[in-house]
Amino acid sequence: MGWRRRGFRRRHLLHAYLFIAPVVLLFGVFRVVPAVQTLLYSVYKVELLRGRFTFVGLDNFRALLADEAFGQAMVNTLAYVAAIVPISAALGLGLAVLFDTRFRLSELFKAVYFAPMVTSTAAAAMVWWWLYNPQFGLLNVLLRLVHLPDQPWLMSSRTALTAIIIFSVWKSLGYNMIIYLAGLQAIPAQFYEAATIDGAGALARFWRISVPLLAPTTTFLLIYNGILAFQVFDQVFVLTGGGPANATNVVVLDIYRQAFERFNFGYAAAEATVLFLLILGITVVQYVYSKRFEVAY
Amino acid sequence: MGRAAGRLALYAVVTGVAVLMILPFYWMVVTAVSPASDILAFPPRWVPSRLTAEHFAVAFAKAPWLTYYGNSLVVAVVSVGCSLVFGLFAGYAFAVYRFPLQNLFFLLILSTLMVPVQVTSVALYVLLARLEWVDSYLGILAPNFASAFGVFMLRQGIKTIPVDLIEAARMDGAGEVRIVVTIIAPLVKTTLATVAMILFLGSWNDFLWPVIVINSQELRTLPVGIALFKDPYGSINYGPLMAATVIATGPMLLAYAVSQRYMIRGIALTGLKG
Repeated sequence: MGWRRRGFRRRHLLHAYLFIAPVVLLFGVFRVVPAVQTLLYSVYKVELLRGRFTFVGLDNFRALLADEAFGQAMVNTLAYVAAIVPISAALGLGLAVLFDTRFRLSELFKAVYFAPMVTSTAAAAMVWWWLYNPQFGLLNVLLRLVHLPDQPWLMSSRTALTAIIIFSVWKSLGYNMIIYLAGLQAIPAQFYEAATIDGAGALARFWRISVPLLAPTTTFLLIYNGILAFQVFDQVFVLTGGGPANATNVVVLDIYRQAFERFNFGYAAAEATVLFLLILGITVVQYVYSKRFEVAY
Repeated sequence: MGRAAGRLALYAVVTGVAVLMILPFYWMVVTAVSPASDILAFPPRWVPSRLTAEHFAVAFAKAPWLTYYGNSLVVAVVSVGCSLVFGLFAGYAFAVYRFPLQNLFFLLILSTLMVPVQVTSVALYVLLARLEWVDSYLGILAPNFASAFGVFMLRQGIKTIPVDLIEAARMDGAGEVRIVVTIIAPLVKTTLATVAMILFLGSWNDFLWPVIVINSQELRTLPVGIALFKDPYGSINYGPLMAATVIATGPMLLAYAVSQRYMIRGIALTGLKG
């Protein structure tokens, strides 16, 4: 029996490594190595066509600090994250509360709210590019119908980032609502019943029961949306290309420009390293806070 | 009385938001099928004065949309297919076997979720340039042959299968590969379907990596095709542009209309794309 067992185990060891080999190799070559190399390239000057890599120490990072376009991209990205994350979470929660009651056609409404989520960001942004047209776009046409002044939308550095944020809220609202709705429906009904017997009104029930018990959902959405928002690219590329005058330039767009339009691969790698540290930062914060916010019921 | 007013307010809010959500889609379709004079009219023409296909003709004359469809389809099918097969076997290994460095390998796979292509694109491009994979299907597919999300989901799914079932199959003399294909796969078919749907959606709508790695027009996927259809120097004609977005978004929206319950549940349960 003993020898059979050992033979069994050895064969299974072989199977185990064979079965994970494709994923490990593919990820090793196309994900892990490029990730490490990006960090490495950030201290090199990379000349791809000549195949020349020159070590430059922290020069790329020093140049980053002095680079106004990157500074602007950083500020814009942070402003975008700071706006999109709480707005879509708050609106998502508000809608989820409405959908937590039973009413006719609620499934249809849910499907409509979620529809932007399944469309490609690039294509949906193209539709909004038309809506935002200052002369003939539907948004200004509607403003004129109710005798409000036209807005420049994407054309002015004052309003362009707001216009992109509005698009992104439209795109992600359904997702936030669905996730909150799932969270709400997981809260046992007797909590609300007990509170009602104790004389708590609807508002008190929302703030004292729903909001605290939804803390894990909220944490998840803030982290998930935050990480995605730091990587915003598609809608900026289509709607403004970063303009006017860098007013909507964002980190990933700057990486794209530096690497694939100007071929400053080392410099772009330094920018990517900064982005990586931001994402890592959120993940660490999540790890620390997720323990604190865990609610048992 | 109060209850009726509350219902009314509920429907007012819910309908108002629904109008805001659907208006861009509606206007896209209306612009695509309206004659040019309607498109620039004030007040806006909510219903076209007559239906026209001329914008679609222009859109098809200016860009090879069927080629874009083909490219998107090839990339999505190959990446989803490979991710499912590799994910099924890797998920089985992580769920069923105990082997040295198991946790290290698993963490290595999950850690790739932390470094999206937004971070790795620079070095990945340099690597693919050396392999001469830039501007090819292989280039688009390279980071998408396997999915950490797929491995994780399938491992979770396979873990719920009783070990006795696998042991019984082994007693009957079934090899491990046969067990995975004929016993495990059917038992986790719901997970497989959900993972396939989410990965397909992610691949179909992916933009950043394809736009980086593709230079030739014949290799563009749909999102890249639509984004680069807007000619920054030429005069802009919104009818053909919206016809193009209808072409690009139509099939996915139709698929969604048919299976929205299933798609919403799948995405809500698992988060979107890894």
